[in-house]
Amino acid sequence: MATSRSIPVKQLLGTSARYAVLGLGLLVTVLPFVYVMLSSLKTPSEIIKVPPTFFPAQPTWSNYTTIFNDPKVPLALFFFNSIVVAGARVAITLFTSSLAGYIFARYEFGGKGVMFGIIMAQIMIPFQMIMIPLYLILVQLGLIDTLWGLIIPAMIDAFGIFMMRQFIEGIPRELIDAGRIDGASEFRIYRDLILPQLSAPLASLGIFTFMATWNDYLWPLIVITTHERRTLPLLLTWYSSSHGSRPSLTMAASVIVLLPIIVIYVLFQRQIVANAATTGFK
Amino acid sequence: MAKPGTVQQSQRRFAYSIMTPIMIYLMIFSLLPMIWAVILGFFDYSPARVGGSWFGLGDTNPFVGIKNYVAMFGDSQPATVFRKSVYNTFLFALLVLPLNLAITIPLAIIIERSHVRLKGFFRAVYFLPTVTSAVAVALIWGAIYNPQAGLLNSFIRELGMVPPKAWLTDPRAYVMGIPLAMIALIITHLWQDFGYNLVIFIAALQGIPQNLREAAMVDGANERQLFWHVTLPLLQPTMLFVCVMTVLSSLQMFVLAQVMTDGGPREQTTTMLMSIYQNAFRYQNMGWAAAMSLVLFGIIMVFTVVQFRLLRSDWEY
Repeated sequence: MATSRSIPVKQLLGTSARYAVLGLGLLVTVLPFVYVMLSSLKTPSEIIKVPPTFFPAQPTWSNYTTIFNDPKVPLALFFFNSIVVAGARVAITLFTSSLAGYIFARYEFGGKGVMFGIIMAQIMIPFQMIMIPLYLILVQLGLIDTLWGLIIPAMIDAFGIFMMRQFIEGIPRELIDAGRIDGASEFRIYRDLILPQLSAPLASLGIFTFMATWNDYLWPLIVITTHERRTLPLLLTWYSSSHGSRPSLTMAASVIVLLPIIVIYVLFQRQIVANAATTGFK
Repeated sequence: MAKPGTVQQSQRRFAYSIMTPIMIYLMIFSLLPMIWAVILGFFDYSPARVGGSWFGLGDTNPFVGIKNYVAMFGDSQPATVFRKSVYNTFLFALLVLPLNLAITIPLAIIIERSHVRLKGFFRAVYFLPTVTSAVAVALIWGAIYNPQAGLLNSFIRELGMVPPKAWLTDPRAYVMGIPLAMIALIITHLWQDFGYNLVIFIAALQGIPQNLREAAMVDGANERQLFWHVTLPLLQPTMLFVCVMTVLSSLQMFVLAQVMTDGGPREQTTTMLMSIYQNAFRYQNMGWAAAMSLVLFGIIMVFTVVQFRLLRSDWEY
């Protein structure tokens, strides 16, 4: 009797200890997000108060209205820059990855193996090794300090090509043969028969590319020099250094940059997490 | 329908018409930069000088052989900073890896065993920081570390303890020989990054057949034995992947240090990539920076190969 009673107690302790750990982890993970949101609602004087408050005493939207009305920070413009770059990179990556992936999966031609090897070797090259010459090439092409400079070096994604090839190999060959019999051109087979089958992996690759581009910092830092062409992460560091005396504004600007990604994450959370777990790429 | 021969020919033509521009593109934006990086490492090159006619090399941007590499061992100020940055980068990577595993493996095991609904919820929340902008994270944690108005020091004061004078700017603050600013960066990095390894470990745990655990339990194994002798060995292939990816990303640490400390105080948090960036784009000293980037590339390669050797396992199930 004594042993059978002690087991549930021990189990219960084990379970509650486990949930205590999970709860603590949750608190640590969420706290900085809550902190930045609450801080962005504080008045300029409250945010530098010692000892600091956690909840704003008089919550105010004034930091947000200040940012939106700041003539030096036309927020819509910086959103536009970030969206143009991310949108272009997503569209181009999805197109080149699916097309090249299709060709590697379903075509036979001389030099195929070598070409595939060359593309896969891209995964091994760390960006920091080629960033200096890449900058010099963009100087030659006259693309420095343009949004094109952020798009053009990222048009081929080795990982995307690999992922699409894997997926397309699972599509039955009969589908393509049927298209050929109907006399469709090779490009039309890709566009009308293959592409519609790829919605799931394209969505994954698209979300992944969007988030990586939206958060990209080092390359825009190198390429962009004019204030009006900054992307949001660049705007954020500029903001914090030029408005250092008003940290509540920086906090509000951070929230503005974080929000789109958090919304996308909430919408596609299942897919994003599953993606990271199975492909293993950040 | 056309003859099979012509069909094949038109297919081949289509394949080449797509692959040719892709290969040309890769030559310009990938192969050329790689070769150029190696060449730059042998020149005293600055884009501020005109130099020779061929890519600006030669003349006022002279060929210097292996001087850039020899200089890394010298007494010059850039060389001292460079060696410091190598040390900092290694320190960062070697502290991040065990700490990350110590957090993510137990947490993955706990999550894997909790209720199905909660499992998805915890996994989703823990993964959130990995998708957020590193710049925003750096600014938020910068505010948290603020010595006067920051969350962390006020919490430490609540506990009745004396907080550090400054987390990110005090060059004399060390904990067990590690600069406090470095520790602050490591904490922030772990916070942002742990969810990534966590979901990989959870997926790996789900792949371990239940009957292996049950067999060990029938043999009378307790929880601890189960962990060390069943779960951990079976996680080994995943562990290899996770270790390689974690070290690779730590070796290329940039944004947090750049935004939170700008490499300070006294270069205590200057990473290799920061040093490369500063030399190339702030001081326009690109030959020297290219040489450094090749050293970093070499270190990354060595780490990858060594880890594959060390952690390769023959487990199959």
